[in-house]
Amino acid sequence: MKLSRVEIITSTSKIEKLKNSIARFGISGMTVFQAMGCGVQLGTKEYEAEQNEEPSLLPKEMVMLIVPTERLNDFLEFVKKELYTGHIGDGKIFISEISNIVRVRTGEEGYDALISGKD
Amino acid sequence: MEAANETKAPNMGLASAIATGVGLIVATSCLLSLGQGSAAIGTTFIISMAIACALNIITALSMAELNALMPNLTGGLAQYTLACMGPFVSVIAMVGGYLVCNTMIASTECAMFGNTLKSVITQVNIPSSAYCIALLVVLIISNLNGVDVFAKIQDIMAYGLIISLTVMGFLGMTKLGSGTPVKQPAVLSSNFTDIASFCGLAFFLFIGCEFVIPISNKVKNARRNIPLGMILSLLIVMGMQVMLVLGFHNYVDWKQLGRSTTPHILYGSLLLGKAGVIWMAIVSIFAVTSTVNTIISSLSYIAKGMAKIKMLPKVFAKSNKKGAPYVSVLTIGGAMIVINATGLSTSSQLSFLILTGCVFWMIAYVISHCNVLILRHRLPKAPRTFKVPGGPVLPLIGMIGTVWMIYNISSNPAERTNIYLLCLIIFAALAVYAVIWIKKVMKRKLFKALPLKEVMAMENELYLTYHDNKSETGRQRKI
Repeated sequence: MKLSRVEIITSTSKIEKLKNSIARFGISGMTVFQAMGCGVQLGTKEYEAEQNEEPSLLPKEMVMLIVPTERLNDFLEFVKKELYTGHIGDGKIFISEISNIVRVRTGEEGYDALISGKD
Repeated sequence: MEAANETKAPNMGLASAIATGVGLIVATSCLLSLGQGSAAIGTTFIISMAIACALNIITALSMAELNALMPNLTGGLAQYTLACMGPFVSVIAMVGGYLVCNTMIASTECAMFGNTLKSVITQVNIPSSAYCIALLVVLIISNLNGVDVFAKIQDIMAYGLIISLTVMGFLGMTKLGSGTPVKQPAVLSSNFTDIASFCGLAFFLFIGCEFVIPISNKVKNARRNIPLGMILSLLIVMGMQVMLVLGFHNYVDWKQLGRSTTPHILYGSLLLGKAGVIWMAIVSIFAVTSTVNTIISSLSYIAKGMAKIKMLPKVFAKSNKKGAPYVSVLTIGGAMIVINATGLSTSSQLSFLILTGCVFWMIAYVISHCNVLILRHRLPKAPRTFKVPGGPVLPLIGMIGTVWMIYNISSNPAERTNIYLLCLIIFAALAVYAVIWIKKVMKRKLFKALPLKEVMAMENELYLTYHDNKSETGRQRKI
């Protein structure tokens, strides 16, 4: 089974709701990083009149998770709707293919390493 | 403190959303229109109502999609239109179609409240305008206390109204009233031209469900509850009014109904005698209070939203400690008090003006359908938590159907011409205001749509502060 890595960068205020929504979608495993960053606005707040001339890093959260590629499109639609407010700072989603996953404890690989096994 | 209020967790449910919708849709003047339509063509007026209701459901769907793409905007259609067609259309649609039109309609509703009380309380000679002003003062104070009080009042008023009209309609429909049923034909005209010519009148029975949208940031699970609340409001109103039409057929002579200026009181009298009169008077009071309360609250939030996007002076965006836009509440409520105090709202010209206002309201609906199609073209991939099904078909049907309703605003050709004429005059006056305000104050191009992200940013309380400071800095640099 093909697997894809999804990395979602969004504002810190949305992380709790996003975490619960991802679980509701049926994905239990995720890794959350606290991060600092900015996008094309260089950290300018949406209501500010002048754009920053130098990048201003804002606190963000990054969620990394693995999704079976066949469920990827449904998952992206779901996450987009969950994060959407229409305002600058809703977030970005990065998608990449991964070649393999290994569960260290059992040595299981691929999709088996993601799901709850017998042992 | 203000920011804390802005981010307060949603506390209103689906029931409150429905109450808000029903509260504005059903008004005493609607009961009058219902009586006039039924008396003219009989129970086939239900077909006109069904067509009007269907078109309003399509409008509700379009509004829900716009709200899904640009959520939690206090100005609603003003901000959608600003992002789609630019400030000129937005000012015309909002000032003409909403603020002026609804302030007048609510003032007329207040006048009917006063007249109803004066006709019931005959022992003391209190002028009807005193009742109107007392009601307005109470509603202004409750609205100044924020949305919690608003929701409590709204629920009580709207559900009292729904239950009363449903029971009265059911008793009449099933001939369970204590009065004597009349024998008369159910259908006075089955000609589709006649039915079509009353669609404009029927449209007025369902107008206003979009007032649920400004409170969407106060509603729990707004994605589901806002569109559902609007559609259920319309269907509940349709159900109640169908029963009332059938009740009219069973208890009120069509000619007598057509002549009456208070058909609901007449119906109550013929259905249940004196008890029916008192009950219908209470229903009218519910209807008026509910409608005026919703209009004061919703228009205030819309005015606040318009101030945020510089369409009105920024003082309208100010909120008090309870989160209520107090300047807007006081201005809109105050305007209604002045209109009622001068007696303007009781004149026959005002009812004519209401129909004219409805045309502007319908134009605002046509614009909302256009907005849906424009945003689908501009942002086809943007996530929408709600999308009108069937691609562009329903918004197009909504646009064409609403224009057709404008054409059928009155069954009398002479009156229709006069309405169009007055609309043109009001449009010209609003156009002058819009051009001056947009050029001198907003300093924008008349028809250039604003980027969506800028309209969304305008919602933030700090937007005006930062952008006003920028203007000041710019002026100082020039000096």
